Amino acid sequence: MDCKKLEKRIQKIYGNHIHVEEKEGNVVLTGTMNSWEDIVNACAICVDKKRRYHVVNDLKLEGTELPKMRLPKIQDQALDRRRPDVLIIGGGISGASIARELMKWKLEVLLVEKESDVAMHASGRNDGEVHPGIDLGKGTLKQQYVIRGNRMYGRICRELDVPFKRCGQYVGMMHWGELLPACLYAWQRKHICGVSDTRVISAKALRKREPHLNKDIKFAIYNSSAGSVCPYGLTIAYAENAVHNGAEVALDTAVLSMEIEKGQIKSVLTNRGRIYPKLVINAAGTFAEDVAKMAGDRFYSIHPRRGTNAILDKKVGRLMGGIASWKTLKKTAEHTKGGGIVHTAHDNLLVGPDAIETYEKENFATEKTSIEHNFQKQRGTVKELSEQDIITYFTGVRAPTFEEDFVIEQGRKTKNLIHCAGIQSPGLTTAPAVAMDVARMAAAMLASRQPVAENENYNPRRRGIPRLRELPLEKRNEMIRKNPEYGVIVCRCEEISKGEIIDALNSPLPVYTVDGVKKRVRPGMGRCQGGFCMPLVTKIISEVTGMPPEEITKSGEDSYILFGKTKAGDVDDI
Amino acid sequence: MTYDVVVIGGGPAGLAAAVSAKKAGADVLLLEREGSLGGILKQCIHDGFGLMRFKKKLSGPEYAERFIEEVKELQIPVGLWTFVTKIKKNPEGFSVWMVSREGVSELQTRTLVLATGCRERTARQVSIHGTRPAGIYTAGTAQHFTNLQGEMPGKRCVILGSGDIGLIMARRLKLEGADVLGVYEVKPEPSGLTRNMVQCLDDFQIPLYLSETVTRVFGEKRLEGVEICKVDEQMQPVAGTEQRIDCDTLILSVGLIPENEIAENLQVHIDPKTKGPVCDSSAMTSIPGVFSCGNAFHVNDLVDYVSESGELAGASAARYAKIQSVGVAQIPAEAEGEAAYVVPQCVRQEDVRGKVTFYFRCKRTLGRSELVVKTGSRVIQKKTFSAVRPPEMERIIVDLLKTEEIREPIVFELREVGA
Repeated sequence: MDCKKLEKRIQKIYGNHIHVEEKEGNVVLTGTMNSWEDIVNACAICVDKKRRYHVVNDLKLEGTELPKMRLPKIQDQALDRRRPDVLIIGGGISGASIARELMKWKLEVLLVEKESDVAMHASGRNDGEVHPGIDLGKGTLKQQYVIRGNRMYGRICRELDVPFKRCGQYVGMMHWGELLPACLYAWQRKHICGVSDTRVISAKALRKREPHLNKDIKFAIYNSSAGSVCPYGLTIAYAENAVHNGAEVALDTAVLSMEIEKGQIKSVLTNRGRIYPKLVINAAGTFAEDVAKMAGDRFYSIHPRRGTNAILDKKVGRLMGGIASWKTLKKTAEHTKGGGIVHTAHDNLLVGPDAIETYEKENFATEKTSIEHNFQKQRGTVKELSEQDIITYFTGVRAPTFEEDFVIEQGRKTKNLIHCAGIQSPGLTTAPAVAMDVARMAAAMLASRQPVAENENYNPRRRGIPRLRELPLEKRNEMIRKNPEYGVIVCRCEEISKGEIIDALNSPLPVYTVDGVKKRVRPGMGRCQGGFCMPLVTKIISEVTGMPPEEITKSGEDSYILFGKTKAGDVDDI
Repeated sequence: MTYDVVVIGGGPAGLAAAVSAKKAGADVLLLEREGSLGGILKQCIHDGFGLMRFKKKLSGPEYAERFIEEVKELQIPVGLWTFVTKIKKNPEGFSVWMVSREGVSELQTRTLVLATGCRERTARQVSIHGTRPAGIYTAGTAQHFTNLQGEMPGKRCVILGSGDIGLIMARRLKLEGADVLGVYEVKPEPSGLTRNMVQCLDDFQIPLYLSETVTRVFGEKRLEGVEICKVDEQMQPVAGTEQRIDCDTLILSVGLIPENEIAENLQVHIDPKTKGPVCDSSAMTSIPGVFSCGNAFHVNDLVDYVSESGELAGASAARYAKIQSVGVAQIPAEAEGEAAYVVPQCVRQEDVRGKVTFYFRCKRTLGRSELVVKTGSRVIQKKTFSAVRPPEMERIIVDLLKTEEIREPIVFELREVGA
């Protein structure tokens, strides 16, 4: 690479105080800039997709100290001196799926997650699309994995008992002039990139499938392999199956530092003690770069990118049965990917997401402007879309590298480390395939120093909590007769019974918080947003766990719901 | 067996409907998803209920008890912990599927009374942005915690919305020793009943801030503060007026929405103004045999009106179960001028020869006003009001007997007439 040339280019735009140099085969930018946008742009300019180097961002932001990773409050020695074969850092879809795949071997696997549940960052804050891979060019890891991952989804979701529907994806075009380029594009994707289900369909065929799509759409690129899955539901399912097969998941556990000796991670310090793993897997999402740095193996940078989605009432789920968006080939000033409308696995609609660069990895606050932007854009997809139907909204932060591709490889300097980093969209789709490869890589690495046997007791099947509402009447009746709590409806919007809530509290990876229960069995996910059921869920958690109500939290540490008894004290329920 | 009337919802509307249907000689079943009757009244331990009906200031549970007693005396069968999951129209009436601790069951009925109440609008539905900490509750949720579970939902509270439940909860939390920093109302005038403004805020020195709203919340775990903004005439936040208030609790009383999922599944026609079913003067919806009452029909201000509407729906359902006839022509009732809406939305032909009770709300606060009820160019009735306010629903009994044939819509025109 020619760093001098790059530096000249960068200095021309941003001034002579910015330096670009080569370090260990990668491009490192140093200096101080006064806007985050400039930092992101400068790093992006240095990317060369043809060459395989990474861009490392050592630029400082003038006058701003970047926020530190939030840490759990708890301090104990619960994990001290543990010697797992594999330590997985991060309980998102990547970490959870890798943990499950690793259980195919007889290995001691420990997954640490700093939040009080799995899927608390990007894996719980995305639109749940299982991508066909149509928007990815050949030659990237993303593209290679998206096709494999997509094909695995039916089986994985059956094994893990997670609802999944191949609902299809439509990318609508508004101008006839774009028909030829669109057909060429579709042909290339289908025959060169291997996205074999790609088709261009007429407005008439489109209307037949999706009658509410904007009438101005003239034709669409269609992929029948696209689907919808509940992203946190799948992460929880993976984690539960891993636990069922013997893995351990330690929540509220953050990695603080590492002890490196002769190119090996010797120990990992957490707030729950010092762990001595044989192998570490870095699946830390937006913090993957920070973990890489602790491991002395930082050769890529993450530039966090926020995205906000609005969730619409199920009542308007009929407006869209699949996943749709519209595009134009005309260059627009906007550099966001555009988002779309997704019919979720639970029959809501999602509108979004937008894409905003940020240095705040854990700022999940929503902004009004994002919602307005998403609706303005997606009214091009479905004109009838109304902000009146919003029941809530959420923000997630993606974890891309500047190369906008995954980093899935053994550590370069630190050898008992595997990076599973830069996992952004379509990271949910790719997870099943990535997890298989990473687990195999890990087993092979361990096999060079110890015998690694197959786990003959491995059970790929997870039995999820029964979804009473979806059962045939006779089956539902039978279940209620066996356990009458299945007949007591606690959440009226989503029709969730007390029995299902109790099951969630007794699941393989129970999380005794209101949000933990909500993510597992959905009370509070509906249009009243827990207005009716939240006090009841709190009470059930208290009954099942014996925790006093004032100790129960919304989503872990310090997010208390109540402040103790009223003056009247303990009144009985009326 | 086939019931004449199945009432869904055991709150004040459903209780009244079940009682009146039974008194009219029908075979009635009352279904309630919770473990006891009374609906939201169970948690309304303050007084002020029943002033019109019983000429007494009762608490919510006391008011409900009077009807529950009647249900018992009349031996009306009640299904508690019973949740209706599906309803299907059939030639004789309706098949109703429900779940309870006993399992899934199905029953047949000639008519249905939907008394499913309403739900509260939430923070995200009024465009409050920021983080998602604990400590943001609708007033009803906070009331449930305080009055039914004896648990304190907050210590330092901001109340958004001056709706009645918000005002009641401001006082309730103050009585329990919480700091209630103020009630913020996006509109230029209060949304609650005048008596609640006086008894809940003035008497407890809780400040009310008009034309101000909460635009943002702060805090990662428990709520740490809210951003308050002044709003312009279009009720849009004015940039530069943001102010942060530290608090641990935000209570929302920002509107009620009739719950009509069952009605919608039956393809009942919903009025976009009231968000409840379009009903005729017998409380029947656009689907023959399906009746609606109480807050599911339209949001009421006083429980007395809810009971009245339940009684009408129950009696009408009982009658319909016997004769199974639908009046042919219906005369629409329309709101005009300063009237925001009027219900029922139409009058049955057979009721045109009698007295019909209408309810309406005004669009904005007015001084001395006149309501003119007319059809075509003929004036049927006039009524003057010394003042009208949107939070206060108005009721008028229109005597249609006096007028001869009515063919054109009955128009309710409200105008301010000055001092």
